[in-house]
Amino acid sequence: MKGRSLHRAAASRSDKIVLAGVSYLNSRPILDPLEEPPFRDRFSVVRVVPAEVARMVSEDEAHLGLMPVGAAATYGDIRFVRGVGIGARGKVRSVLVVSKRPLDEVDAVELDLSSRTSVVLARLLLAKRTKTNVRFLGRAAGMPLGPERDDRVASLVIGDPALTLEGIYPHVLDLGEGWLDWTGLPMVFAAWGARAVRGASPEVRQALREAVAVGLDNRAAIAEQYGAEGRVDRVTALAYLTGAIRYGFGEEERRGLARFFDEGERAGLLPRAEVRFADDPEPKARVGVDALIGRAAGGERLSCDDAARLADEATLFDLGVAADTVRRRKHPLGVVTYIVDRNVNYTNVCTTSCRFCAFYRPVGHPEGYVLSREELGKKLQEVVDAGGVQILLQGGLNPDLPLAWYEDLFRWMKAEYKLGLHALSPEEIWHISRLENLPIDVVLARLHAAGLDSVPGGGAEILVDRVRKRIAKAKCTSEMWLEVMRAAHHMGLRSSATMMYGTTDTVQDRILHLAKLRDLQDETRGFTAFFCWDFQHEQGTRIQAGETGTNLYLRTQALARLMLDNFDHVGASWVTQGPDIGEIALRFGADDFGSVMFEENVVSSAGTTYCIDASAIESRIRAAGFRSVRRNVRYDWLTEPT
Amino acid sequence: MSTLETIAAKVAAGERLSFDDGVLLFRHPDWIAVGALAHAERTKRHQDRAFFNRNMRIEVTNVCVASCLFCSFAKLKEGDPGARTMKVEEAWRELETRMDDPPSEIHIVNGLHPHLPFSYYEELLRGFKRIKPDVVLKCFTAVEIHFFAELYKKTYHEVLTELRAAGLDSLPGGGAEIFHPDVRTRIAHDKATAEQYLEVHDVAHRLGMKTNTTMLYGHIETFEHRVDHMLRVREQQDKSGGFQAFIPLAFHPEGNGMQNLPGPTGVDDLRTIAVSRLMLDNVDHIKAYWVSSTPKVAQIALCFGADDVDGTIVHETIYHAAGSKSPQGLTKDGLVRLIREAGFCPVERDTYYGVVEELPRAALPEGAVKVKERKAGKHLEVLS
Repeated sequence: MKGRSLHRAAASRSDKIVLAGVSYLNSRPILDPLEEPPFRDRFSVVRVVPAEVARMVSEDEAHLGLMPVGAAATYGDIRFVRGVGIGARGKVRSVLVVSKRPLDEVDAVELDLSSRTSVVLARLLLAKRTKTNVRFLGRAAGMPLGPERDDRVASLVIGDPALTLEGIYPHVLDLGEGWLDWTGLPMVFAAWGARAVRGASPEVRQALREAVAVGLDNRAAIAEQYGAEGRVDRVTALAYLTGAIRYGFGEEERRGLARFFDEGERAGLLPRAEVRFADDPEPKARVGVDALIGRAAGGERLSCDDAARLADEATLFDLGVAADTVRRRKHPLGVVTYIVDRNVNYTNVCTTSCRFCAFYRPVGHPEGYVLSREELGKKLQEVVDAGGVQILLQGGLNPDLPLAWYEDLFRWMKAEYKLGLHALSPEEIWHISRLENLPIDVVLARLHAAGLDSVPGGGAEILVDRVRKRIAKAKCTSEMWLEVMRAAHHMGLRSSATMMYGTTDTVQDRILHLAKLRDLQDETRGFTAFFCWDFQHEQGTRIQAGETGTNLYLRTQALARLMLDNFDHVGASWVTQGPDIGEIALRFGADDFGSVMFEENVVSSAGTTYCIDASAIESRIRAAGFRSVRRNVRYDWLTEPT
Repeated sequence: MSTLETIAAKVAAGERLSFDDGVLLFRHPDWIAVGALAHAERTKRHQDRAFFNRNMRIEVTNVCVASCLFCSFAKLKEGDPGARTMKVEEAWRELETRMDDPPSEIHIVNGLHPHLPFSYYEELLRGFKRIKPDVVLKCFTAVEIHFFAELYKKTYHEVLTELRAAGLDSLPGGGAEIFHPDVRTRIAHDKATAEQYLEVHDVAHRLGMKTNTTMLYGHIETFEHRVDHMLRVREQQDKSGGFQAFIPLAFHPEGNGMQNLPGPTGVDDLRTIAVSRLMLDNVDHIKAYWVSSTPKVAQIALCFGADDVDGTIVHETIYHAAGSKSPQGLTKDGLVRLIREAGFCPVERDTYYGVVEELPRAALPEGAVKVKERKAGKHLEVLS
């Protein structure tokens, strides 16, 4: 019902084939001719950041994308256009690891996270060259390069900045060269890709090949123009386009890329993926679902396509047993954790008007509230008295509460009560950043300084924008949600991640959501746990329930456990499903039972009310066959298993 | 010495499970595997079909001389707070008001009222048949029939024959509780014994009636008591063959003599359904009664051996007196959705499991439609 909506929107503007690409120098010989006659009558080129290319293709906003190969592996059902790629055989010059000391002396490597492909390649090549305990860090935008701050830090630099680094650092690893030395094969960094189900006609593929032929003849002019834009000098640009980058994508490049996918998979950095051209004959037999479930249970990384097949074809028991196997391997002691905390909703005033929400009141509504210090203090004292360890503080997007209000509140809470502060979902942080016109990381840093300990993963809903636009029009985009989490993780804050499905989402949307979380987790390792639940359809919500039901809940949670191989914990959402299903869900991949509930207002506004105390939680954990342990927000054990 | 493997082999070979097998199934830590075994057995019998019916429940009196520990419904005598006995006209009106969308079955369970005349019950039944001649009357548990026999000085055969003449079609399965005397004497000491309960059903079966039977679990009984209970059902079924469905009923602890007990939870519910399916090789249907287990657990129970979720109910009061959080009734559409979401094909049945309407599994969840089309390579076109 939604798959085609954006695509149709795009298509209604014109009947052109929509191509997504980036604005980097090395893609210009491929893309520029497509914006000129005769190609432009047929194609419409959209230039975005690299991560967006894969997203647009996977969400059917573009027919084809000049796609980073790492993203293509993650999405899984991508077919490449034979003949056109961006690669190198030997030095690539635009993907470098630089340092002031030899690589085996550095303690940390700072990664430019905007290119997943480069990050994977860097980690593969560095594994042989650095200390075994080297740390990988993300580089925040605008910061000076790592080696400038600390000579024990190396830095992965990509794109134009790398081209101008030549000769500046004593130790430089060119990743194209490193790859050739290791494998004897060329590397492909990006190529035209389309979803297998969409395909690209032979005529379209031929036109893309013809366009690059035109672009290659024009490289001198492109370098001239690029130099005139002042980004890199003309000579460097031309040398790069003619001497370093190779634009072919034939069988040798296919072998190089296949090797990259294999090595990435072996290192746990990429799902198992094959290099498939659009004109390859379909393989005779696909892997059986039993084999797939076996691979998933064995801990192999799943592509989106694999996950979609499991969602379609595997039985409830298959998924449950496989998820249970993974859970058992990650948590071999047979322990299920829970936390004693309290959900406090400091305000119900909200500007977003989400159609699935029965809790919010618009600004000025007589039932709108902001909790006073007295009311909050009473609630917090009750938590302390009950042996609780933290407060989960969330609220609406209230335009009357400035950043200073939160800072004061946090300082007061931290001074008066010894409780962890798990507060403000990404949506609220984004809201404050807009309200104050401050960057996300500044808002986070100030909140952190005022006492914020961790960030709850609420408001993720489905991290696919066409779904978000339908159910939560005023909410931040999926990219922004992830960006807030990225910034929080880089600051050392941990967070949980959630998914609310069962509105207008499809199984592909849910899988894409999981893939996005998994990608970010690869970068930051900042997520502690994943929780999912279905839309609670009741009075006050203004949207029809889509796919829901207990069966789907257990399947979805199990699939998440299989897909999110880099998440330590998956929690059962007994608050929405009821404690009986929560208990059952512990054998469908969950190792955490969430929280004791003092109160919860958002879900219960929609009619779901369950209330159980710590001893009831413990007996439910035992009923499912586990021992229980109390935890804090970082999942540290606070008690011995009982 | 039985293991899950030897049990699986027995099930595959169609062999009967023993008492020890049953206890092992209850105690085995891998309750998912027990469920998978039961699911295979259920699938062999009923494929992907799941049954429901359009029924309504009426409790005409809650006055009851018995004082069962688990009961939050009964009042000892007329005049006690909350005690209530309907006039027959009031009971009939419940049906009359639903004649625009009438139920196919009326399910009546009552307290053991010491002062109503036998003619009250006969008139009650006759009235329903006058309003809707083809409605199936599934009324009075074996415990009530036994009580009638004592109160009105009749044999079981006489009670049943006379009520049948007034319109009675079938008996519900309530009142079985736990058969084993160690438990029964403690929780239900002053009503029909296990032998008497089973004898009533025996007589009913020999009169050609089809009945159901139940087990109330999750209070003071052990797994051994549950298996013993199932074996007594199985033995009776071998003799008289009239049980259509076995219905495990979860004990709910609010407002009764065992409110200090926690009551069974989700995993126990599923496991009990699964063991029932595996032990009762001669009973066709295992029912996940959604009022007792909640609709959410009933959905999963369909994958753990159950093939029936009971019916629309309309207005249940016995479980709700004991704190059940389930809704009091579900619409037909609600039941169909419940079954479809669980991945099964909804079949509306009559009391005797005759098919009234076999609904397609279609009105498929959206994802399934999509998958079908996706495989046909028409991904974008169909999505809307």
